[in-house]
This record gives sequence, C-alpha cells and structure tokens, in this order.
Amino acid sequence: MNDLPKQKETNLSFEKIKKDILHPMQNHKGLELWIVFLITVISVCGWAYYIQLKDGLGVTGMRDYVSWGLYIANFVFFVAVSLVGMLISSILGLLRIDWITPISRIAEIIAVAFVAVAGLVIVLDMGRPDRVLNVMIHGRFQSPILWDVTVITTYLTVSALLLILPMIPDLAICKKELTKASPIMKKLYNILSLGYINTPEQHKHLHKMIRTLMVLIVPIGLAIHTVTSWLFAATLRNGWDTTIFGPYFVAGAFVAGSAALIIAMYFFRVNYKLQDYITDLQFDKMGKLLVAVCLVYLYFNLNEFLVPGYKMKTGDDIHLKELFYGNWAIMFWASQLLGNIIPIILLVNKKFRKPLPIMIISLFVLAGAWFKRYVIVIPTMLHPHLPIQNVPENFVHYYPSAIEISVTVLSFALVLLIITVLSKIFPVVPIVETAESKGIEVKIDA
Amino acid sequence: MKNTIKNIAALFLIFIFSGSLANAQGWTVPNSAKKKQNPYEATSKNVSTGKKIYNLHCKSCHGDPTIANMLPLAPVAPTDLGAQNFLVQSDGEIYYKVNKGQGAMPTFEKTISDEDKWMVIAFLRSFDKNKKVKQQVAEVKNPEVTDVKLELNVNEANKTLLAKLSGVTKKGKRVGLQGIEMSFLVKRSFGYLDVSGEDPYTNEKGDVKVQFPADLPGDREGQVNMLVKVTDDDFYGKLEEARVVTLGVPTDPVNPLDERAMWGTRANAPIWIIVTFVGGVLAIWSVIFLVLFQMIKLPKLAKSKD
Repeated sequence: MNDLPKQKETNLSFEKIKKDILHPMQNHKGLELWIVFLITVISVCGWAYYIQLKDGLGVTGMRDYVSWGLYIANFVFFVAVSLVGMLISSILGLLRIDWITPISRIAEIIAVAFVAVAGLVIVLDMGRPDRVLNVMIHGRFQSPILWDVTVITTYLTVSALLLILPMIPDLAICKKELTKASPIMKKLYNILSLGYINTPEQHKHLHKMIRTLMVLIVPIGLAIHTVTSWLFAATLRNGWDTTIFGPYFVAGAFVAGSAALIIAMYFFRVNYKLQDYITDLQFDKMGKLLVAVCLVYLYFNLNEFLVPGYKMKTGDDIHLKELFYGNWAIMFWASQLLGNIIPIILLVNKKFRKPLPIMIISLFVLAGAWFKRYVIVIPTMLHPHLPIQNVPENFVHYYPSAIEISVTVLSFALVLLIITVLSKIFPVVPIVETAESKGIEVKIDA
Repeated sequence: MKNTIKNIAALFLIFIFSGSLANAQGWTVPNSAKKKQNPYEATSKNVSTGKKIYNLHCKSCHGDPTIANMLPLAPVAPTDLGAQNFLVQSDGEIYYKVNKGQGAMPTFEKTISDEDKWMVIAFLRSFDKNKKVKQQVAEVKNPEVTDVKLELNVNEANKTLLAKLSGVTKKGKRVGLQGIEMSFLVKRSFGYLDVSGEDPYTNEKGDVKVQFPADLPGDREGQVNMLVKVTDDDFYGKLEEARVVTLGVPTDPVNPLDERAMWGTRANAPIWIIVTFVGGVLAIWSVIFLVLFQMIKLPKLAKSKD
C-alpha cells in the first residue's frame, strides 16, 4: 500500500477517477446492511420518543433544576460538529488550500447531517413539539432562541447549497455513468445536474456562485455557534456568565468538527477503497489542523477556568470546585486531558498522524468534545442562585433516564443514516475537482 | 409563705425545663442574656402591637401560637411559640434567640427594632399559663354590646379618615366602644399598606381619626382602595369597611413593559435589535435567493454554446 500521492498521480486518468469513486457507491455490499441496522436502531429508539411524546417530559431525568439536560448538551455538540463544513470547504477553500479538495465534500456532508439533526434535537427536547412554529410566530427578537432557530435554518440551507453546487459537475457524470441507478435516482441526478456540460461559461458561472456562498457561510457559521453560546451566556448563571463564550464555543466547534471529519475520512477511505484520493497527506494535514485548533481551544479553556478559578467569587466557587475536584472532576478532567491535551502531545508526532492512529485519537477528541458539552450544560443548572426550599431529592441530581438516552442514540443514528445515504447517492470525493487539481482533462458529455 | 414555695417550685421547674430544652435543641443562651427582662408592660395595646409584628415576621414559619400550624420544615420544624414548653424560657432567652437566630431561624437583630421584639415577647407571654404576669394596667372595660357597627367618614379636603365603632348595650343605647385598635389599610399590588399611624385606638366616643399620608400615590384619579377594620377579630368578630376613596395623589402608572426594552414583549423590542435581526436575515437570505435564482441560468448557458 503505497499511498504517496506523487507517484500515483501519473497513474490516474479521468476514467480511473470516475471508476474509483463511483464504483463503491453501487457495489458496496455492507452498505445496505448498515442502513438496515441504522433504521432498526432509529425505530427502536423512536418508540422511546413515542413514550416521551405520550407521557410528557416527566419520563426524562429533567426536573426543575436541570431543565436543560442531555438533549441540550447533545444539541450543542451537534451544532459544534457541523461547523467543520464552514472551516474546511469555506475558510480553507477561500484560502485555496489544495489538499482539502478530496475531503471537502465529506466535510459538507457532515455539516448538513449534523446541523439538520441539531435542529431536530431541539424539537425532541420539547414537551409540545406541535407548538414549535410558535417560536417563529411569537418569538421575541430579544431572545437568543429566535436567533438560534433562524441561524440554524440558514446554516442548513447554505450548507446544503454548498454540498450540491460544487457537486453539479459530478452529478452530470453520475447521470451518464450510473446506469444501474434506479429511475428515481436518475431523475434526481438529471434535475440536480442542471444540464451541466462543463462549458467555460457554465464553469465560470458555477464557481462564482460557489464563491459567493463560501463567503456567505463564514458569518453564518460564526453566528450559528456564537448564538448557541448566547443561549447560555445571556444568563447570569455561574459557569455561563462569561464574555468569551462565543469564541470559546467556536474554537471548541472546530476541534469537534475536525475530529469528526478525520473519523469519517478514515471510514470512507477504508470502506470505499479511496486510498488513492484520501491519502496519508490529508490525514497528516488534518492532524496538524487538529493540533492547531486544539491549541486555540486549550488557550480558551485556560482563560475560561483559570481566571474565575483565581478569583473564586461567590457562586463561581461552588461551580468550579465541583468541576475541579467535586462530583464532575472525572468527566471534566477526562474531557480536558483525553479530549484535548494528550491528543495535542501525540499529534505533534508525525507517526501519530497516520490514518489509523489519528482516527483513534480523533475518537477520543470527539468523545471528549461531547462530554465537554455535558459538563458545560448540566453542572451550572444544578446550582441555581435561588435554590428551592425543601427541594426534592431528585431535583438536585441529574441522571439521564433510559428514554432520554434512547432518544439521544436516535439522534446519533439519524446523523449516521443521513451521512450514509448521502454518501450512497452522491460521490463522496469530488470527481471533477480532483481531476482538475491533478491537471487531468475533464470531459462531460451532454 | 405558700406563694414563696410555689414560686420557688415554679422557678425550679422552669430551670429544669429550660435546661433540657436548651440541651435538646443545642441552643445555649449566655447567662447574662437570660436575665434580661421585658422593659415593656403587657398592656393590651402592647400585646396587640406584638401580635401585628408577630403576624408580619414570625407567623409565616411558626404559625399561630398554641395552634401548632407551623411550617413542616425538616429536620427541625419551627416551634409553636404559644406552647408552654417554649414559654418556660425567660424573656431574655427568647429575646436572645430572636436576635441571633440559628439554623433555619433567621436573625432579627437588625430587621426588627428592640421595642418591636419586646412587643412580640409581650404578645407571646399572653399565652403563658404558668407565669401570672402583672395584670394589664388600667384596662378599659367596654360594656357588653350587640350589633356592633363600624362607620367610616372620609374628609377628602383634609385627607382624614374618621372611623366610629359603636354597639348597642343591653339597655338599648348605642354607645361608642373605647380603646379598640383599628387598622387603616390601603390596597397595594400585593397585600395592604398600613396607614393607621401611631395611635389608632378608639377614644371614649368610639372614634378614631387617622391622617391619610399626603404623598401616597393613587390611580389616575387619585383613587385608592381603603380597608378599615377592627384589628383584632377576637373582640367583636370580623368588622370591616372597604371603600374606594379619592385621597391619593393622582398618578399615571408607568408600566416598565410599555417601553422598548430587552425585557419587553416582541412588540416592544428595542429598534436596534429588530433592525439587526431583520436586516441580517434579509441580507443573507437575499444572497441565498440570488444564488438560487442564478442556478436557473446554468442550463441556459449549456445551450448558448451550441
């Protein structure tokens, strides 16, 4: 397995690229089984949601103290991961970083899947989801909730466009090449490819649109996670009442998103046999990027915990002591060490930036990122400024119920299902862009 | 001689009781504090004042004395302050505990004046069965009456309220009832404001005159809801007179929800936040629609080549 791109480059022709990328979409045997498995998980967990819908949110572990529990922590995590689309395909794309070409579509698929389900998680957290439209109808401009709903919808739309638009040339190829596709899929390719035949005018026009969206998604991407942080930072609660919450969340989002992208890259590379395209170079560069964003996040963490920890003002002290050496210490330090500090130390070494080791490290980073969100949301809720007198015992502790965990598993399965389906119907590596970046002539027949 | 023995025995009992009580609750009071005596006499006026203060500050947890309807707090429920095993304590001990507080019992050192605290103690003492306090001095005895009436006269020019309490004696004569405390209350958003003043006790004619405060805000017309009542229902049952009087200062109410503010309703959102939100949404979505519109051009561009 020699993955060095420079030696392989000469062996690639446009026909081979097309074959390599399109072939696994239709001929992957495990894929259907995986989809069936995911649908089974979703159905089983959907039953848990049905119980929640029927009996109300009382079936969750949430009570008057912790009214934002597992669901909201999970929501913040999903929003965070989705930010990778903006980081990779937009920021690095606008900087004309060439190694992102083969992985930009995976990043965009992750972004669409996670942000779509993030919006759904909020609905899952509602006791009366039938009233969700009231947020739009009666929402107050002063409330971060309205901003959050707006900005997530916008980010989903632009991410979807940024997934589809750069894919138009590839879809034109799919229309021709995927002869075995079902009639519905053929129709989909036909509609979405918009009659693209790669004329110079079309090429120029298309890239102008893509660049517009790339610029547009930067403020939206920053807004989506900044506004999510405002849901917390706009309150006076200890642990949330901090001015750096916006950039802190954005930095954390880049960490979570990069880790998710590396994991997805690894699985597509192995399962779709894309070693020639998602090469060691991409893993190496992503490893360096992950170190960079982890360092930024570490810097924000230092500010977020060291400064209040130095002052230990009333209210903050209970919260911080709980995190540093109280009930939350294990989760807090595990997320900091395993999810940030140790990965930085390891990934500085070149040999840990090989596909398998970096994928395993990324799993830890991603899990750390998830637990970090949990530690951000719940401990603060357990220490209200005005405690309830004679508070019932189950208010002062929070353990997610089985129903809650099932519904969270549902959201994860749904994300994986969306990613799987999108990668089954769309080429995960851009065919035309890859060929163009390697200087191979592209021919798309009308 | 007999009395002396009785007194010694009583003191001994008190000593035993208070000792065991203090131990049971782990609440020891310094000896110097125990010796303090209530400097105020247990006149009916003082007891009634004490009752008012008690209802304001103590009742919410301790309930009514002797009724044992205190708040069921855990692990230690508040004591029934009219119970005999509480009243075995000296005035000084009760005074000390009210001042210092312990556990869920808050300190009242700064929140209630010394005089008021002694009034409360005088009120509590009125439930004490053992301690025969020097009987109330110069009590006014009203004749037994029926058909007690409370009349209220409002003088809007002088902003005075004149209440008259009278009853019909057995002989069929309507007489004023003397020395009865009245309450003059003004309805607020929550509860009542007491405007009774220093001495709201009926005189020998059964009259009590109260000067309404000059600066109390009313509604737009200066109207306030006035409630005049006999403070203690124990005398003649519930006697009260509610009336809307135009004694307040006419005030245009300011509702903080009426102005544009971050805490307002959506209709009262600050302009800048509406502009930012709507402007941002319009700007970004117009670009999105522009791109969507441009997508239609793509197929046409293919044809133009042919």
